[in-house]
Amino acid sequence: MGRFGHQPPAGSFYFAVTQSLVLVQFPWMQLDRRHFLQLSALGVAAIVCPACETDRTATLERPRLLDMLGPDRVRVIGKQYLSSTPTETTADALRSAISKSRHESRIPLMPRSLEDQVREDFIKGHTILVDGWVLSVTEARQSALFALSS
Amino acid sequence: MHTDARTLDNGTVLQGDLCIVGAGAAGITIARELANTPLKVLLLEGGGFEFDPRMQDLYRGENIGLPYFPLQAAALHYFGGTTNHWAGWCSPYEPIDFEKRDWVPYSGWPIRRADLDPFYARAQSILDLGPYKYDPGDWKNGDAERVPMLGDSTAIYTKMWQFSPPTRFGTKFRDEIVNAPNIHLYTNANVVEVIANDALTNVQSVRIRGFDGKEIRARAKRFVLACHSIQNARLLLASNHQAREGLANENDLVGRFFMEHLEMPAGELVLADPAKTSTKIYALDFAKRTPRGELAISPTAARAHRVLNGTCSVEPGNLGDEVKSTFQFLDTTLMNAQRAWEKGGRKGAPPTVEQAPPPRTQGLPRFYHLVSRQEQSPNPDSRITLSTDKDALGMPRAKLNWQMTELDKRSMRTFYQILGAEMGRTGTGRVQIHDWLLGDDKTWPSFISGGWHHMGTVRMASDPRQGVVDANCRVHSLNNLYIGGCAVYPTAGAVNPTLTLVALSLRLAEHLKTTT
Repeated sequence: MGRFGHQPPAGSFYFAVTQSLVLVQFPWMQLDRRHFLQLSALGVAAIVCPACETDRTATLERPRLLDMLGPDRVRVIGKQYLSSTPTETTADALRSAISKSRHESRIPLMPRSLEDQVREDFIKGHTILVDGWVLSVTEARQSALFALSS
Repeated sequence: MHTDARTLDNGTVLQGDLCIVGAGAAGITIARELANTPLKVLLLEGGGFEFDPRMQDLYRGENIGLPYFPLQAAALHYFGGTTNHWAGWCSPYEPIDFEKRDWVPYSGWPIRRADLDPFYARAQSILDLGPYKYDPGDWKNGDAERVPMLGDSTAIYTKMWQFSPPTRFGTKFRDEIVNAPNIHLYTNANVVEVIANDALTNVQSVRIRGFDGKEIRARAKRFVLACHSIQNARLLLASNHQAREGLANENDLVGRFFMEHLEMPAGELVLADPAKTSTKIYALDFAKRTPRGELAISPTAARAHRVLNGTCSVEPGNLGDEVKSTFQFLDTTLMNAQRAWEKGGRKGAPPTVEQAPPPRTQGLPRFYHLVSRQEQSPNPDSRITLSTDKDALGMPRAKLNWQMTELDKRSMRTFYQILGAEMGRTGTGRVQIHDWLLGDDKTWPSFISGGWHHMGTVRMASDPRQGVVDANCRVHSLNNLYIGGCAVYPTAGAVNPTLTLVALSLRLAEHLKTTT
């Protein structure tokens, strides 16, 4: 298990990509694997590793809620979000909405990690009630992506 | 000294300087404070020294409002009063509880928390509590993991509780009261009427009636009604021979503003990482009576969101568990079993409901039930009136119409929204709000629950048009009548009322000692 309790689906691959990222050299960033994976999902890794496209999608669709609530409950959350948000019922629309939100980053050149984005949602009041859960809008969209993909 | 009033002749007139009606926490506290003073104190207790079903039945009443527990099962009618079965939960009201809040109609006490602080400190020892300290940092108990969640939050803080053994006033103070030379305790002395002078400016006597129809009177220079909140109102309303609407009721306030604490399961918490978040300080350890915390809305957040004061307990469990409200948890059968257990010397394990199933989670618990404890907004339509039914002494029974306002439900929902946002912001976890709380703000589920905390029927205010008693608990319109107990609370606070009741009783006793 990783530091944050995640099971890496392909550890060696991540290691290799991490090495790529280190070569890019962002000494001002304290990157751990979680942040890196999330950055990957948002496109950074694609710059250095075009083969990461599949994995980027997988991370977007794996909200941290999965660790807390498990797949069944996250699926319920996702389905409820989909049914209550008619403008975001496809994977493309959800990814686009997450990406659009991402562009409000504090560091313009560097997209926020998904975890930071979720936290910022809570700070800014970008929260939503889904199945009674007080959630960040980003993680609700992630849950919807998870529901669509599973 | 002690006299069983049943042994007195019909027509007997008792005479004292001060007459206290009711020997529960308030009446006994006031009497003890006046022990060994020059004052001759008459302490009238309706019951005896033991539970008696016939006496208890005098508290039976009607309920025409929201679902409520049978009235005769809440307050106890014998020496020691309801302390004979209270659970011992103690925490002081917060300064904001005493303030006028423009978003809470009828809020504001004519005294401040600072006025009560010295009495709170003294009440601690009466209730066999620890020092008057309620900061989480005071109760680490040498355990570095006993720290609050959301330590940096300005919206949510951890409010601490201490636990009384619980102190049974009837047991602890019986000898002291009986042996005090200036205190004359009369048991089986049920007061059924308060009698004023013709001008309705002073109380002259109270009428006491027995099951055999025998009547005696108690005369005094000053009187204190120190019954529980329903009974204090009932007694004033039933004293309607001289004033059609009852004594002290010129402004139609007596019996109104009945308040409870809303004690109901309302949310769930899932931790992001149980290994990183300690919940030790929230654990309930009844056996050791270790002080514990509850998550509470800060005054800053309450002001910003214009909501009531409230807390929630954090109890390990599993998502999908059935969690019971206070009224569901403790039924009359269990109450009787616990009463028998106490009477039998507390041998063996105390009777309780079925044991909660052990958490299914392996390792540290991840899921917690959040159980609300919230003040009820003062509401003039939530009230005690008189029933047409009469008890065995010929006194009209109480009729309870317990009612809520939109603010009550909105406040509880807002509490969980704030808590959820703070849990998310800090990465501590996520909060789920129960379905019933997400609906409209006018309906309540069948398991709506109070905590058997009756407050507010003879409320305190500086203005006689807003309250029955003044800041010294003296009835505005009757110069020598005082009210003791929770009936005078203008607002309910979020936490249980007994510690405040004892503090307020000490304050009233000091007033009585220093005035004539």
